[in-house]
Amino acid sequence: MRKFWCLFFMFWPIAAIVYSAMSPAYGWWFPGPSLTELGQRIDNLFYLILIIITVVFIGTQVALGYALWKAAHNKDEKSHFSHGSHNLEVIWSVAPAVILLFLALYQMDVWRDFRVKAYFPEGTIESPIAEVTARQFEWRIRYPAPGKKLQLKPQPDDLYAVNDLHAPIGRAVMIQLRSEDVQHAFFLPHLRIKQDAIPGQVIPIWFKAEKKGLFELLCAELCGWGHYKMRAQLTAEREVDFQDYLKKLQADQNYDGFPASDSVAKKEE
Amino acid sequence: MSVRWQTIVALMLASLLAGCGGDTSKARFAENSALAKQLLPKARKAVQKTLDDHFGSPLDSVAWLKLPVNYGKAEGTVKTVDGQKLSVEFNAEASDLESLASPELTRAGLLFTSGSNAGKQVLLAKFDSKNSTFETLPGLESAPSSGDQFVAAGHFLRHGRKLYARHCQHCHGVSGDGEGTTAKYLNPRPRDYRLGVFKFTSTASFPAPIKATRDDLKRVIALGIPGTYMPSFVPMLKENELTAVIEYVRWLAMRGEIEKGLVTELKGEYSKDRSKDDGIDKSLETYLSETYPNFVNEIAGEVGEKWSGAEEEGTPIIPKKPRPQDTAESRHRGKELFLGNKAKCVNCHGPTGRGNGPMTEDFQKNPDTNETYAERGLYDTWGQPIKPRDLTRGIYRGGRRPIDIYRRIYAGIKGTPMPGNSQALSEDEIWDLVNYALSVPYDSQAPKSPKPHSVAEHSMDHGHAN
Repeated sequence: MRKFWCLFFMFWPIAAIVYSAMSPAYGWWFPGPSLTELGQRIDNLFYLILIIITVVFIGTQVALGYALWKAAHNKDEKSHFSHGSHNLEVIWSVAPAVILLFLALYQMDVWRDFRVKAYFPEGTIESPIAEVTARQFEWRIRYPAPGKKLQLKPQPDDLYAVNDLHAPIGRAVMIQLRSEDVQHAFFLPHLRIKQDAIPGQVIPIWFKAEKKGLFELLCAELCGWGHYKMRAQLTAEREVDFQDYLKKLQADQNYDGFPASDSVAKKEE
Repeated sequence: MSVRWQTIVALMLASLLAGCGGDTSKARFAENSALAKQLLPKARKAVQKTLDDHFGSPLDSVAWLKLPVNYGKAEGTVKTVDGQKLSVEFNAEASDLESLASPELTRAGLLFTSGSNAGKQVLLAKFDSKNSTFETLPGLESAPSSGDQFVAAGHFLRHGRKLYARHCQHCHGVSGDGEGTTAKYLNPRPRDYRLGVFKFTSTASFPAPIKATRDDLKRVIALGIPGTYMPSFVPMLKENELTAVIEYVRWLAMRGEIEKGLVTELKGEYSKDRSKDDGIDKSLETYLSETYPNFVNEIAGEVGEKWSGAEEEGTPIIPKKPRPQDTAESRHRGKELFLGNKAKCVNCHGPTGRGNGPMTEDFQKNPDTNETYAERGLYDTWGQPIKPRDLTRGIYRGGRRPIDIYRRIYAGIKGTPMPGNSQALSEDEIWDLVNYALSVPYDSQAPKSPKPHSVAEHSMDHGHAN
């Protein structure tokens, strides 16, 4: 029975390692390498923490297993109780504190680049590409008309889309995030972007997609019974294609039953 | 163990054995009881039986070919046979094989139309749509041979039902009555399809309202309805899934309409209020055996015709003239119409478009029964209180394109007090109203009382702004 507990505690670190090693092959890991430079830095932080945790977890489990194993064979020696040991208490309070402090300081520049407005890449704050409004249970998107700037209040020539965010690749862009009802979270797993949307607040998010493609845009905050329905997509495309998309959106939004070239209003535009 | 604990454990075990969903094999479409309870019990039963025969139950639905629903049909020929594995080729018109491939749908099976198995049905274990290979379940006496023809049908309906159950049913209800489990928390209420009326359509309402087209329903599912709880289901639902859901919704709508038609017909002679003498039972029996079957076909034909009418070419309203330049003059003309007696928009939408016109403060009559509603305000066909749109908010439930607003004004909003204006207003006038309505949310830019010279300035601004 004593050996059972020893084996029991040794089983978990092994299970954790096997599980982690299997994960990427089964798609239980990140959805591929990050498509943004910032995302890679976030991944690096994640891996750093993972390594620290792994070392600590396996180290403590092995130590525990060793102690149990040794004690199982030792019937002569008496137990030694360390309860109340001042030195031990100091060590296991200070060691984690040092690790946490190190992480808190080490991640600061990533946090700054991701969240602090003053450090957003140039050109993002001045001209956000879109306003994304989360609501139960969809993402409503408002773009400024081509060549115009996004205003806080809706403008007559704004362009609207739902669940279909487009962004140009190769340059940093910013969106304004809002929520119409409850708390949602704007989550681009491939770009490692996650930001809560809070009713009453306009929250800027910037990202720089390096690769074109279709990526999932999900809600990462359980927001109600239709939470799973908030499954939109991000189309990262070349700048020209992005501009073409906006023009197409504009033509569709001005549709009056006639092809754009026939329309009086559009001709004189 | 105390008695209380024993009871709790026994209850837990019982619920484990029973499962949570109850017996799903008996799942039924809910009866439209508000209508059906007006009938004599025997007549009520007859209606239920008709519906069961022609529509089945949610899990065992029947494709009634009299209705213009695309149930999904795929014809093909067997190419090679390897035990239970059949490699096949579909003909060019075979619709939506992906619906056919959906794992829970393959049990529908296929029907051989030629060869040694002609007329026999076989169930499928697997269908691979990419390589067009089937794996059949055993059950055929003789093995199919190369060149045998078969038909697979009804997969749209089954695929649609499955998707409907997952995404729509919790609001719109199993039978499409808008009474799903989440419905009671919602305002506005989810649509009850059973009247066959959909609000945001591209079709005319004069002389008789035309049904929603498949494209109209698709637009609503794809774009959602801002200002309501109807969200967008794209890109979550793929093209073939949208098609299947739309067919299922149309099918439910037709079912509800046919139910209503049958009850209305029977109510004339066999309503519950009739005195129960011997004569009535007998007359009902004669009626049910002689006239009723024909009537069922007749009403199905009528309902079907209306729905297929919506799909005819040229049904969507397209104005004869494109939208004119969105000038201050046009907006001003629109505003005068809005406030005037010709279009009467102001009566409901209010002088500033806030949706607070005098009609909302008044007692209204139900146009069907001619009874006055107990509460003030406007009501829709479903008997729910309804508010005229607040035009200042810039939220357009039926879409914000000029053509959408044009259609709303031209044909009205079906099932609501918003009337069609195709007779009262000219095209130019409707376009002026469109220009005005679209300008209302941006009031600082809306035309002030115009002075001749300031109008010219405004029009220059707006030429660019649009």
